[in-house]
Amino acid sequence: MARYAMVTDLRKCVACQACTVACSAEWAVPAGHARTHVRTTPLAGSFPNLTSSPVVGQCNQCDHPPCVEPCPSGATYQDAGGIVRVDTDVCIGCGFCVDACPYEARFINPRTKKVDKCDFCRPRIERGEVPACVATCTAHAKYFGDLEDRNSEVSRLVFRDGARRMETRTVAVGPNVFYLGRPEHLDLVLSSYPPRPPRLLTAGAAWTRLLKPLVLAMVGMTFAGQAVAFFTQLHKGEGDFEE
Amino acid sequence: MRSDAIPLAPVPLTADEAETMLQRQIKKHHVAIILLHWFNAATWILEVATGAALISSRLFRVAPDWYLAIVNGLFGTRGNLLRFHVALGLVWIGVFLVYGIFGFRTYLRGEVLKKEIALDRDDVRWLVVRALRILGRSDEALPLQGVYNAGQKLFSMVVYAMLPVVMVTGVIMAFRLFSPWVVGWAVVLHFGAVGAVVAGLVIHVYMGAVFPEEKPAFFSMFTGSVNELFAYNHHFKWWREMKTEQLAWDRQREPAAEIARPETPAGGEGDAQEPST
Amino acid sequence: MTRRRFLGTAATLGAGAVAVPAVASPTVHPPGWSGTARVEKIATTCEMCFWRCGVLASVEGGKVVRVEGNPDHPQNQGRLCARGNAGTGLLHDPDRLKTPLLRVGERGEGRFKPVSWDEALDFLAGRLVKLRDEHGPESVAFFPHGNGARFFATLMRAYGTPNSAEPSFAQCRGPREVGYSLTFGQGLGSPEPVDLEEARLVVLIGSHLGENVFTSQITAFATGLARGAKLIAVDPRFSLAASKADWWLPIRPGTDIALLLAWMNVLIAEDLCDKEYLKTYASGFDRLANHVREFTPEWAEAITEIPAAKIRETARAMGKAKPAVAVHPGRHVTWYGDDTQRARAMAILTALLGSWGRKGGIFLPTPIPRGSFDLPDFPEPKRGRADGAGKRFPLAIEELGVTNGLIDATLSGDPYPIKAWIVYGQNMLESIPQPARTVEAIGKLDLMVVVDVLPVEQIKYADLVLPEATYLERYDPPTIVESAKRPFIAVRSPACEPLYESKPGWWIAKELAKRLKLEAFFPWDTPEQHLEKILKPTGFGARELLNRGAVAFPGKPYLEDRAPVDRTFDTASGKIELYSEALAKIGADPLPRYTPPVEPPKGFFRLIYGRAPVHSFARSQNNEALDALMSENEVWLATSVARDWGVTEGQRIVLENVEGVKSSPVRVKVTEGIRSDCAYLVHGFGQQSRALRRAFGRGASDNSLMSRVSVDPLTGGTGMRVNFVRAARA
Repeated sequence: MARYAMVTDLRKCVACQACTVACSAEWAVPAGHARTHVRTTPLAGSFPNLTSSPVVGQCNQCDHPPCVEPCPSGATYQDAGGIVRVDTDVCIGCGFCVDACPYEARFINPRTKKVDKCDFCRPRIERGEVPACVATCTAHAKYFGDLEDRNSEVSRLVFRDGARRMETRTVAVGPNVFYLGRPEHLDLVLSSYPPRPPRLLTAGAAWTRLLKPLVLAMVGMTFAGQAVAFFTQLHKGEGDFEE
Repeated sequence: MRSDAIPLAPVPLTADEAETMLQRQIKKHHVAIILLHWFNAATWILEVATGAALISSRLFRVAPDWYLAIVNGLFGTRGNLLRFHVALGLVWIGVFLVYGIFGFRTYLRGEVLKKEIALDRDDVRWLVVRALRILGRSDEALPLQGVYNAGQKLFSMVVYAMLPVVMVTGVIMAFRLFSPWVVGWAVVLHFGAVGAVVAGLVIHVYMGAVFPEEKPAFFSMFTGSVNELFAYNHHFKWWREMKTEQLAWDRQREPAAEIARPETPAGGEGDAQEPST
Repeated sequence: MTRRRFLGTAATLGAGAVAVPAVASPTVHPPGWSGTARVEKIATTCEMCFWRCGVLASVEGGKVVRVEGNPDHPQNQGRLCARGNAGTGLLHDPDRLKTPLLRVGERGEGRFKPVSWDEALDFLAGRLVKLRDEHGPESVAFFPHGNGARFFATLMRAYGTPNSAEPSFAQCRGPREVGYSLTFGQGLGSPEPVDLEEARLVVLIGSHLGENVFTSQITAFATGLARGAKLIAVDPRFSLAASKADWWLPIRPGTDIALLLAWMNVLIAEDLCDKEYLKTYASGFDRLANHVREFTPEWAEAITEIPAAKIRETARAMGKAKPAVAVHPGRHVTWYGDDTQRARAMAILTALLGSWGRKGGIFLPTPIPRGSFDLPDFPEPKRGRADGAGKRFPLAIEELGVTNGLIDATLSGDPYPIKAWIVYGQNMLESIPQPARTVEAIGKLDLMVVVDVLPVEQIKYADLVLPEATYLERYDPPTIVESAKRPFIAVRSPACEPLYESKPGWWIAKELAKRLKLEAFFPWDTPEQHLEKILKPTGFGARELLNRGAVAFPGKPYLEDRAPVDRTFDTASGKIELYSEALAKIGADPLPRYTPPVEPPKGFFRLIYGRAPVHSFARSQNNEALDALMSENEVWLATSVARDWGVTEGQRIVLENVEGVKSSPVRVKVTEGIRSDCAYLVHGFGQQSRALRRAFGRGASDNSLMSRVSVDPLTGGTGMRVNFVRAARA
């Protein structure tokens, strides 16, 4: 079984946005939204001793994806390659998963009105190609492969060169997008864009904490009530009711 | 019988009288209502069954794993399952819209608002007594009831309050209308509204299908009629109303013969509630 | 359109076309748009900028649905920048010019009527004949840009005018080509042959690689950095490159020559030069050593505001890494009017490090054979060039010309009146400084013709507008790139039929030639015949090139690849001229000298400008996907400057230059990452053409604020970093 991962070498990345546009072109993502986004951290320090780093964000295909559970319809799931995917046939566009994502990698596609996100270009992988962002990366800063395969480039970059995950003590969901870079740059990226603790929208919270118990209680109570009535009747005997 | 001969409250019947009344059928439901009821029942069974299987998240789900597995297996893909649920729901809404629009005067206003929902003082009392009797805490006689008893009315109220919620939220989800925020709340409300109806359905189904006392009412959902004795015993106010109207009718058309059995009107616009000669 | 149909269509345009069999293009199932339709991939050449990357255009049902990098292309190897990936946005831009347009209102009003091509071309041919008869052919000036212009260039030469000028010379890299030619006997060309991937040290002087994106250059740059190359970024602004640099030197604008002289001083004083290399290949070392002796790091510190210690440290790093030091020559280098001398200084630094023709430095072009047509003799113009190339600007390269020289001549009528402009593929009001002068010059014309894809601002001053097909819809003459490690020939061929009434440039030029009775200069009927002829000596056929998009040849990029006898330099002395006899001869400084830049009046700040990775010049702002990523520019202000101006992050302000010209409103970006004596804008925004519905009025136009230029006396290049701005008082 494969465990797909992506490594971005921030020493090479120049924030040129080729990946963003290639991805959007590949998946017909409407302008103004993107499955992958490129940012440059705010400057740290003061003139002339400054630091900043570009960073490429996308779905991290987490080992423990916090977006799966809040999806009511089961549209979001993790496939056999560890890729978190969306069955758009089943997505109803409620947006619960969007708020659950610590990496702000999900959005509601305004054309389909369903959730959209990076899936490591699953269909391309199946054709034996690399994801569109990797294929176009002008800086050759992106690497894609299978971590289970110890000979793969990503295995080498992760297990030998120590590519890092963007995790914090509070949000550690096992992302499979890794970064290489100068330690001070990686620290700056993490402190500038820390993963956000997963949130459940008020509607979702109302559902799971209020409505679900309420409905179960109501149905349960009426059922119990009827059961009591049934046995009372049996006890009394049906004859009472006959004319 | 003359109008002054119609009793104000049920009086003990002789065996003959009871036998005559048992044989005499009174029209209760129009065929359109019967069809709607069973279409509605079937729809609810299928929609609740598929809907419960659609909620797969552990956070929200109400059905066990094995149930989800069976339903998913039945439909092949979850996409098919959702498509079925949505399609049937839309058909269901469409049917209700047709009824609501073409039968607005007779069904919605005449039937639903006046007879199925409006509670009077007797109804309130009935609810209390009924509950106590079921629990074996009272022997008090039930207050007199109209064409629908208060329990049925209560259930109707829940249903008619929740139907629009289920429909509107369903449409919002099906077409992902407005914003994700709205869709998010629509899912929740859809679930809650269906939950409320299902809770009521438990009683409704039990009363209709299991509770022996209500058997004629159950069968009336197939035949459209109940025997007069059942009406006399359980829906006295209705029985009396019908008697009164009938006498008035008879008087107008002297010399009246005997009370005719209600007949199914020929047209589709028939008024099931009005006794005919 | 399939390849077969393209060839078919082309064949019907001319009689007796050679039937070229259809080729099997790679066919795959499409990725994102439909389940079963077959997609054909057409190999062609990108033109979202002018780097000429190879692309594959996926065509589905005659419609180009996706453009991606061509993995088999020797230059970009499948990679493509944001703009390249957004190529379909230009093709399907709803604001495109759709039919030929003939002016109906007053010039400048922008009122036109659509006309047929016949009508448009008859009109134009008639006017050109009349101009030739009444004012001589030299009265027509041509402003081309890009590969597609070459057919027009042929036409203009055949017509008899010498007056052709591209902004890529006087507004871009002209002084660099001249400065390096003076030193090494040859310029750099495009793409720049900088061996970034093999460099052990990269020196960027104002080059903001990363924000300035050319795909293969970024690949090489990033690869070099990943292999451990050190980086020196000289820039008044904390550029993306500066964020990756080992040394960021925030230089005082306009003082680069002082820094370069100080580096030379250290290299020579500390004996860090590549002496053997210099002995073999260079001349004038002693004169140079004498010249730079006084230019110590301490001297330079006072001028550049870079600490002397840093200058020493960086010079030593260069000495250590030599010869694998890539001193990037820059691309847009027309800054202060001393640009040829600055290019000279950079060339000399390169020579001192022994980096020219060496691994990790600047590599050498490898000539590729090419065929040519046996054309009739071009008429010899009776009057010489009007732009001053070769005269007023003695070192300007005549084949490229001086755009501003032509504008000057149009305004003054000196040396003779210019009566007509034909502008192809460039947006003069955004690419040439002093736009008010440009508009004034247009007012003197009898005829203004614009050939373009989009309704850029200058359209409103045109008498005739000809809608050209985009690069995805047309054939262009093959690109022959010799300044690559693997030199190559690439072709641009249509992936689909031209949309609307647009026509490819070759067709327009040829049709016009017919009407001017100059058909003999276009001795081919179809683009493939043209291509076949040019390819003939290479051994490749047109079909193979069309199929693959590009064919590569083995290169000899380094001096060591060549026999010692071939290791020569095309200078007067045959050597690298550290001391330039050619400059001495015309009375210019034979060794570069620092001249102080013009200082801003009190309360004003120097306007500097640059590029963003998602836009090309002022050409891409109307592209939907690119607009979504960057829809306007920001004015970068140092924290202290923003405080002084009383403006805050995100606030919209109007910039005003010394001459009182005001910009459109632009957002403020408050940053520590810029010196407090300048303000920075990304070029290409603040466009004023309402017909460009996305680009119109977004952000501020740096070009509109360039009321002044400092003209390089050697090349005519317009130094543009001599304009000063402040926040306009409300």
